[in-house]
Amino acid sequence: MPDSKPLARPTNTIYLYDGSFEGFLCCVFVSVREKELPLNILPETAAPTLFETRFILSDAEKAEGVRASIPKKISPRAWELVTTVFCSCLADKELHLIKFLLKGYREGGKICNMLGDEVVAPLLAAERRLLGEAHLLKGFVRFADAGGALVAAITPKNYVLPFIARHFTLRFPREQFMIFDKTHKAALIHQNGEAEIISVDDVAFPEISEEEARYQELWKRFYNTIAIKGRENPRCRMTHMPKRYWQNMLEVSDLVNPDKEYER
Amino acid sequence: MDLMEKLTILTDSAKYDAACTSSGADRPGTVMAGCCHSFAADGRCISLLKVLLTNYCVYDCKYCVNRVSNDCARAAFKPEELAELTVEFYRRNYIEGLFLSSGVLRSPDYTMEQMIRALELLRHRHHFGGYIHAKAIPGASPELVRKLGFLADRLSINVELPSERSLTALAPDKKRTDIFSAMSEIKSGIGENCRDLAIYKKAPRFATAGQATQLIIGATPETDYQIITLASAMYKKFGLKRVFYSAYIPVAEHSLLPALNQKPPLLREHRLYQADWLMRQYGFKAEDILSPEAPNFNPYLDPKCNWAVNNMQEFPVDVNTAPLEKLLRVPGIGPTSARRIVAARRSGRLGIAELRRIGVVLKRAQYFIIASGNDSATRDREMIVRALIDPKIYSFGAEQLSLFQETPALPNVSEFNSLDEAVEETVLCLTQSL
Repeated sequence: MPDSKPLARPTNTIYLYDGSFEGFLCCVFVSVREKELPLNILPETAAPTLFETRFILSDAEKAEGVRASIPKKISPRAWELVTTVFCSCLADKELHLIKFLLKGYREGGKICNMLGDEVVAPLLAAERRLLGEAHLLKGFVRFADAGGALVAAITPKNYVLPFIARHFTLRFPREQFMIFDKTHKAALIHQNGEAEIISVDDVAFPEISEEEARYQELWKRFYNTIAIKGRENPRCRMTHMPKRYWQNMLEVSDLVNPDKEYER
Repeated sequence: MDLMEKLTILTDSAKYDAACTSSGADRPGTVMAGCCHSFAADGRCISLLKVLLTNYCVYDCKYCVNRVSNDCARAAFKPEELAELTVEFYRRNYIEGLFLSSGVLRSPDYTMEQMIRALELLRHRHHFGGYIHAKAIPGASPELVRKLGFLADRLSINVELPSERSLTALAPDKKRTDIFSAMSEIKSGIGENCRDLAIYKKAPRFATAGQATQLIIGATPETDYQIITLASAMYKKFGLKRVFYSAYIPVAEHSLLPALNQKPPLLREHRLYQADWLMRQYGFKAEDILSPEAPNFNPYLDPKCNWAVNNMQEFPVDVNTAPLEKLLRVPGIGPTSARRIVAARRSGRLGIAELRRIGVVLKRAQYFIIASGNDSATRDREMIVRALIDPKIYSFGAEQLSLFQETPALPNVSEFNSLDEAVEETVLCLTQSL
């Protein structure tokens, strides 16, 4: 029986790390070296707990060792899954990931085909949700023209910027644009054919010009005219376009912030 | 007339067109599976700027808002106006591209020339790389259709009504032979272009996202069986990518058309899309879904469940051994779930818990499958039938059920006081026949 030997000894220690991916890889390093499974792994900004904690320092060399081991000892697909899920909003994602890696180091590449496994399934589900959100946002992002550059704000649950960057770069190869992720305080910036993601606390959006306002009005008019009255179906609209995206979509934002009108 | 007013009129008269997908275009910056940019209040996807070039029309099709005899506001875009609007909407990520159709101005050829002018401006002056779906006008000359195809990603020609008789009665200016000959014209254009592209990658591309068409449902007396056999024949003969079904919304008083207060048959349209999906993605044939003896859909069951209750000898299916085609026949298992099952079972036998974890929804499927450690699934017929009743009928409402043509084996909705009562009676009826 391969399951006779435990993967790692469960402990009551909570690992704290700096929240970076590199920091997480160092947690994996420590866990494997000590053959122990922490009770949880939390970013240092998390609320204090009564359990014993241990701070894991980031170390580029250790992180690199772990990084290289994943595609080699498990599979390139496992590496892809781990990096994707780390960007997701899965609760306790670090613990889920470390359990997956510990099991993966023993099972090898076939772990990625164990779709129904209780360690693997939550990761695949989180990955699907993230990629689903990224797919929706490829359509739902609304740019405004600010002096020739395009600017947009989003509030996604998952950290999707790395997953939509390529799409928008290919779509607007000659435009300058910025997508600001308010939830994760990061911005995708594309200029002169180069795209990068930077972290930024806040972005001040410029006042919109008269021409921009005109196109916004035209779009709202189109949106309101294209619906067929006899077929109104609010529930169907909400299934396809969940309400949490509406605040950033100008054609429906008035429906979720009705008091915005008064502020002006 | 200012642009706002034009846009309003020309959107309003284009809104009854069903298609709005942007799938299948092989261009950088587009999403292969299509991309929805918004959803309108009626729940339909908005992915393209769907407008008419003009709603002036010399034809008098009885079912159409833009018929010449209808007294309504008319407008026409200038090609430059439309091109600029499309580009500006596209930049702001409002849309994936343009869906251009038109009323017939002067003649089919003249109209097509105008459309081509607008698209040429877009593609050549504005270097627009987004998606274009253009509606060819039946009766236009083949050279113009070809020209349009080199500018658009997808071409479509509306069949409009499911039978020649209905078309002659309601659209006297349109000829079914014109429609079909233009469709085979496009098919051969696409075929030739495929060969050219195979030889030279940079050959100009002709409608690479294929061809589609649209049918109006519920304006004329054709049965569902007639409609899906027509669709299936068109998929084969013209290599169509999609057939769209549009529930008829009464826009005119006419002795041959449903009364103005008649509701559009939305549930029936929904059933047609379900059947269409089964034919394209699940390997069903039109004859599996309906037959001349049972020519109409069961309003209470979706077509796949209906097939299952009529073919109980095919079940249960063993998820650990059955081929993909068999899995696809199980109510509740779609292409995604079926593929996941096939992938997951390579690394171990699947039980109910594993199925749940890989995301298979078991509400319906549980009655039709055998999984590891679960070979004695309930065979209580009434329970099975209850699980299969389409919950959507409640949101569509009893009125929608009554818009189906009568099925002899099922109770008629109008005989009952409430939807629940009708459902109860149907459950009984189906349980007995199982």
